Amino acid sequence: MTDSNRSRLIVALLAVCLMASALALITAQHRARDLFADLEVAQQLGRQREAEGNRLRIELGRASQPAVIEAAARAIGMRPIDPDHTTLLPPTPRGEQPAEQP
Amino acid sequence: MRRASGGSGASGPSTNNPLLAVRLPAWRSRLLLFGLFCGFVSLAARAFYLQGGVSTQFLQRQGEARYARTLNVAANRGAITDRNGVVLASSVPARGVWAIPEEVDAGKRAVAQLAQVLEVPAAELQQRLAGQDRSFVYLKRQVEPQIAQRVESFNIAGIHTSREFRRLYPEGAITAQLLGFTDVEDRGQDGIELAFEHTLAGRPGLRHVIKDRLGRAVEDDWVREPIEGRDVRLSIDDRIQYIAYASLRSAVEASQAHGGSIVVLDVASGGILALTSWPSFDPARRDQMQGQALRDRAVTDTFEPGSTMKPFSIATALENGVVAPQSTFDTDPGWMRIGGRTISDTSSHGVLTVEQIVAKSSNVGTAKIALRLPAQALWDTLTAVGFGQAPRAGLPGAVAGRLRPPGEWRPIEQATIAYGYGVSVSLLQLARAYLVFARDGDIVPVSVMDVDSPAAAVQVLRPQTAQAMRRMLELACTDEGTAPAARVPGYSVAGKTGTARKLHDGRYSDSYVASFVGLAPASSPRVVIAVMIDEPHGARYFGGDVAAPVFSRVAAGTLRALQVPPQEPAYALAESDAADSARSVDSARSARSVPGVRSVQ
Repeated sequence: MTDSNRSRLIVALLAVCLMASALALITAQHRARDLFADLEVAQQLGRQREAEGNRLRIELGRASQPAVIEAAARAIGMRPIDPDHTTLLPPTPRGEQPAEQP
Repeated sequence: MRRASGGSGASGPSTNNPLLAVRLPAWRSRLLLFGLFCGFVSLAARAFYLQGGVSTQFLQRQGEARYARTLNVAANRGAITDRNGVVLASSVPARGVWAIPEEVDAGKRAVAQLAQVLEVPAAELQQRLAGQDRSFVYLKRQVEPQIAQRVESFNIAGIHTSREFRRLYPEGAITAQLLGFTDVEDRGQDGIELAFEHTLAGRPGLRHVIKDRLGRAVEDDWVREPIEGRDVRLSIDDRIQYIAYASLRSAVEASQAHGGSIVVLDVASGGILALTSWPSFDPARRDQMQGQALRDRAVTDTFEPGSTMKPFSIATALENGVVAPQSTFDTDPGWMRIGGRTISDTSSHGVLTVEQIVAKSSNVGTAKIALRLPAQALWDTLTAVGFGQAPRAGLPGAVAGRLRPPGEWRPIEQATIAYGYGVSVSLLQLARAYLVFARDGDIVPVSVMDVDSPAAAVQVLRPQTAQAMRRMLELACTDEGTAPAARVPGYSVAGKTGTARKLHDGRYSDSYVASFVGLAPASSPRVVIAVMIDEPHGARYFGGDVAAPVFSRVAAGTLRALQVPPQEPAYALAESDAADSARSVDSARSARSVPGVRSVQ
């Protein structure tokens, strides 16, 4: 192969590489934009879930309010603790049976 | 153009075409070539002009107008939680519905539909939209996102929605004054919301984005990153706060009082476990946010503490070796003269020990002890426990109260200050001061924040003095004392009642502040509870009758919530009237005189 032919071949190869590189760049950019759009959607979803989480925490707070629990307990016949209905058990060492109450 | 000659000699239809045989002049092809060259040159020139010429900015603006957007990125406001992580305040997304009146193109039917969805009177909505001179008007703010979606689905020209946040308070009125509230822009206006605005409020971000033809953001460039608001964890215990609120509310209503407050402090850390006042308001209803309901009375209001001040005078005397717990004082005949004025008890108690002076709340006995002290010593103790200085609890509007310098005290003033007149305090200050008895003589700052390690304590009294005072305060909660109603079944408690006349227009009136400050359990205090009932109007108005039972209920609930095991056999609650309820107050007392002090004619 003559020098002239070799030069032409190199130029042709470089031209092909340049074209391939340009196409790859366009493809990569397109893909990056697609992925970015997906990321945006995912982040938006994340924010929505976080907001829902906050709302649920508030709902949980409302549902577990002492006033609500007290009202529900009274509705099923429960009543606040009082000394007449409290039995105190002395702490016993591990493994021993508590003494029988008289 | 020359005629193509067929090499093969084969003749086809084209070779016989006579048109091809015509010889065109050479200038025509050259002209065409020149024309094409000029065309390309002009295109190149135009391209250079557009890319690097004077109109670059214009083109960039046009490009940005089509594809670039600058977006505000909202930052969430932090949540407020109690010490156990229960959410007390949190923000959720909402939408603001707004309009450009001159662009709105909606018929009556569309406006009626909009009004129905927004729950706004149609006439009011029509009026707002008719304001053609305005370029912007809010139709409704902080609406639920679902409602905003319905509004958007109407596709009415000129009606838009924007992103906002809405603050929710699950506990409602129970924590209303403590937490405060935010304005429509989600900025703190009162209470914790205001005090911790810098922590709670985030900083919105700003970013440039490039949008594609589908409207999706495909590239971005942050101008300013958003900073999310941080959560604030309070020392408040949600359960104890409820117990305090419910007890206070029922007590204020039962005694037909103007209002009241309760403070519950954790003895170990100085953390505020509960802080509540009545009347209160529902933070979800803006129309209730007015007048007295907004005030956090325990922090912003001062009052003359009356007998709840006596333990500090007695402790100063014990600390200075002026008296011992068993020292005796003759309080007969139930009054004494100082500088032309008379200090009196409600009845004559005879000879009393120092312990009994506290238990029976004798003004004469306390005055006699206080007069043995240098004024500076009493002032030093009162200042060391925090009177005359605003507590740095992290709450807005905390007041310092009034404690004059000892150099200005006359003997009569020294005596009256010793039993709680001529000095003003807030309930939070009073509760904090009792930490000195609960903590064996040292005191820590109070805090509304949940802190891992308490601040450094300052020793004010010797531990022996504080323990002796606890025994005396415990005696006050027995049948011998003024507050048997403060007792809690299963636990020992200690505390002191206070019934102080109120000043109206510079004169002492017939209205009272009933108070009780106590420690529980007395043997090893875990909590200090201070109760104040403002102007009880029922048949009973003494601290032992009105405030002590509230203390008992709150202490019982608090000790249970903190899982403090019962230490004593359950008391049988005394049915007898509290000792100080039997006392009568001389209604003919001079309105100008300090209560317990009569002018000598």
